[in-house]
Amino acid sequence: MAEKRERKAKPTAYFDYNLVFILIFLICFGLLMLYSSSSYIAAKEHEDGMYYLKRQIRALLIGLVPLVFLARVDYRVWKKFGGLAYFAAFVLCAVTLIPQVGKSSHGQSRWLMLGSMSFQPSEFAKIAVILFLAVVIDKIPKQMDKVINVIKVLLLLVPLVGVIAYANLSTAIIVLGIAVCMLFVASPKYKPFVVVGAIGVVFIVLFIMLAGYRMGRIETWLHPETAGWDGYQTMQGLYAIGSGGLFGKGLGASLQKMGHVPELQNDMIFTIICEELGLFGAVCVILLYLLIIWRMMVIANNARDLFGAMLVVGIMAHISIQVLLNIAVVTNTIPNTGVTLPFISYGGTSILFLMSEMGLVLSVSRGIRLEEI
Amino acid sequence: MERNKTCNRKKIMVFFVCVLMAALVLFGRLVYLMVFRSGYYSALAQNLQQRERDIKAARGKIIDANGVVLAANRSVCTISVIHSQMEDPEAVIAMLSSELDIPEETVRKRVEKVSSIERIKSNVDKETGDKILAYGYAGVKVDEDYKRTYPFDSLASKVLGFTGGDNQGIIGLEVVYDKYLQGTNGKILTYTDAQGREVPNAREERIEPVSGNNLQLSLDSNIQMFCTQAAEKAYLQKEADGVSVIVMNPKNGEMYAMADYPEFQLNDPFSLPEEYAQYAGTAQETEYQNRMWRNWCVSDTYEPGSIFKIITTAAALEEDLVELNETFHCPGYIMVEDRRIRCHKTAGHGTETFVEGLQNSCNPVFINVGLRIGAERYYEYFKKFGLLSKTGIDLPGEAGTIMHNKDDIGLVELATISFGQSFQITPVQLATAVSSLINGGTRVTPHFGRAIVDDDGNVVKKLEYPETEGICSAETSATLRTLLESVVSEGGGNKAYIEGFEIGGKTATSQTLPRSANKYISSFLGFAPADDPQVLVLVIIRNPQGVYYGGTIAAPVAKEIFENILPYLDK
Repeated sequence: MAEKRERKAKPTAYFDYNLVFILIFLICFGLLMLYSSSSYIAAKEHEDGMYYLKRQIRALLIGLVPLVFLARVDYRVWKKFGGLAYFAAFVLCAVTLIPQVGKSSHGQSRWLMLGSMSFQPSEFAKIAVILFLAVVIDKIPKQMDKVINVIKVLLLLVPLVGVIAYANLSTAIIVLGIAVCMLFVASPKYKPFVVVGAIGVVFIVLFIMLAGYRMGRIETWLHPETAGWDGYQTMQGLYAIGSGGLFGKGLGASLQKMGHVPELQNDMIFTIICEELGLFGAVCVILLYLLIIWRMMVIANNARDLFGAMLVVGIMAHISIQVLLNIAVVTNTIPNTGVTLPFISYGGTSILFLMSEMGLVLSVSRGIRLEEI
Repeated sequence: MERNKTCNRKKIMVFFVCVLMAALVLFGRLVYLMVFRSGYYSALAQNLQQRERDIKAARGKIIDANGVVLAANRSVCTISVIHSQMEDPEAVIAMLSSELDIPEETVRKRVEKVSSIERIKSNVDKETGDKILAYGYAGVKVDEDYKRTYPFDSLASKVLGFTGGDNQGIIGLEVVYDKYLQGTNGKILTYTDAQGREVPNAREERIEPVSGNNLQLSLDSNIQMFCTQAAEKAYLQKEADGVSVIVMNPKNGEMYAMADYPEFQLNDPFSLPEEYAQYAGTAQETEYQNRMWRNWCVSDTYEPGSIFKIITTAAALEEDLVELNETFHCPGYIMVEDRRIRCHKTAGHGTETFVEGLQNSCNPVFINVGLRIGAERYYEYFKKFGLLSKTGIDLPGEAGTIMHNKDDIGLVELATISFGQSFQITPVQLATAVSSLINGGTRVTPHFGRAIVDDDGNVVKKLEYPETEGICSAETSATLRTLLESVVSEGGGNKAYIEGFEIGGKTATSQTLPRSANKYISSFLGFAPADDPQVLVLVIIRNPQGVYYGGTIAAPVAKEIFENILPYLDK
């Protein structure tokens, strides 16, 4: 606090308090909803209604350390660690593939055990890719004009994305999405991205039309009612969302949280928010995320240098993609894939790295000279 | 660098706008799901989360004219299983199959069926239910329920009827007054989690059951018992196929008794009697059960025979076509067109007055009178006396009259109709028609139900039945009563004569179709007191062995009933 007051004293110093307050509000709201949605299951499975809440608070408190640290340290220090971060992420992700090391969850090995704590290397991979790409783009800003160079940079990521995709497809999609967003911002071109996007959309539509019926996941997406057990999670989520109505059943009054909705403290937590707080609550949550993204846009636009801007853009892309994908999945707008809702879903590693990312964003925000705005 | 910055800012803006648009699409999706599809998903979710259990309502009692309970309820249990709560299915299957005496396979099928709640057996004795509850197995539910019980078992079985497993009337008054008796089941709505466990402290909606109302009958269990005993006696003595007795109040149509021997056991209504026992479990079981439950007084028609001469007399008196002291000649037969119709006394009654003709039940006299009335007029009287329509008695399955078409009634048909042959009516129709003619001319509706009352005896609804006044004149009615009194005191009904009582009546002996089988139906209809009838008795003996004349075998049965109930009714 002393640090912040000192900064404030200087007329040219800037610190994005808006972002901090929105973040505090979102995190508190997230804890409330996590407790509300998970208490019944927690009491049944762990004999402690606060089981998930306690662990989430612990993760948040641990996450405060990197947040404060990263916010205070000049972000330009991390330019040197781009390559190292990439290499470390690659190694850690590769290690989880070894059955003896990786802890299996949902049939896919994606955890590393560090003492009593479990650790998800794929979460680290996201921040590593953001840092790595920011470093690369900062080094060769002019070359980004050429499409061929953009593709070359993208190719650099193939090994890491490949390793992640092997264990966890949805995280690989997120990492790839972050990379594309960062490159889109870095490159002055529109056409290649529009063309790639259009080709992608056409390809996906064709795939669904031609081969979709063979894919259980697509079939489940199109007809969750008749998909039996595969459609169970989707249908339970839809029951929860649909029974919320305009203003919901009231905080704590969800009935779908009584074990009907699987993974409700993780991927499906948004459905319980919808059931308890209704459309009103759901829109408020979306607006909170939009506010955070908007603050990050302001910070990126006014960052002192391209490296800072690219860092914030990467983090912005990360949060945007996860929020949009999560809500799209639970509303059955897109086929089911496991994506958590940032800051609200239960998950220690995810919280730890999200807090670190916010530390980086705040650090970039401190570099802003007010006269430059 | 500066060029890059501007371009980058623009790109960041474009990215933000894309995110905003995607958020807008998701917002639209949420509106669709949470506003337009909300009802659909809410209903589905509730279906999944709620478990509904019925609380059975007690069925109303059926009580007789004096408040004696004829149908009541006994506490029983319904045993069901909740699949998701079961911890040890094998033990549950073994326990249920031994306690409930159901084959293990049947129990297994239900226990292993994945459903929210599956009923194993209803109408289980309370002691057995308590025993099952005492095992304390998870997932086994014992719900209290009621079973219909009939304290007099077979008394008035075909009138009262019985109920099925779901507390619904199956035959008799239980069907007709079902909506009053049934009451409204209550409900317990509990919320359950995904494992089917009831959610503690969750809203539990409880709708209390409303007991059914009681049905008060005009039927008198004492009179019913007298009649059943008399019918049983005649049934055994005459080795008859069946004996039916109807006792009613001719003034308002209230039924005091209706026995149709052999009766069946209301507390075990599906077991066939010994003589049909071999059909149990076969395809014909239902057929024989229906035969056993069939109330002949209401559901079957027969040729009424000479008792119908009362109706011919009434029509003739109404039309002033016959003088009481007018003389007829009976040579033992009468020619109608080319047909020779015999009198039951083949030697003939000789010369006799109309009154004597009725006392002798002389066919030629009534054929003469019938021919005077003519087909068209006779048909109109059929209609006027209510013989062409059903009586409207409050019992299910009433049969209609089987009658010639108006245009098909030639002289021969008219002649046979005059003494009660060649058409068929139900016994209850005959009793009702005669009641209406001797009560002063008011067509009444025969009925058992007097009122719907609550448990404190307050009348909830008085049951009303239609009456049609003036189907015949008061004079005709009075003349009829006098004539029929003379039949008992001086004529063919003398076997029903009781010292000190004025009884009016008429006998009948009819041959069933086909005539070649030589099967007879003997009957007697009587009423007392003759000048102001308070009670009417109709006794019908089907296929008696040996002597089959109504005056010889049915009249004494009626006499026995009168002897018992006349002093009783005087009280």
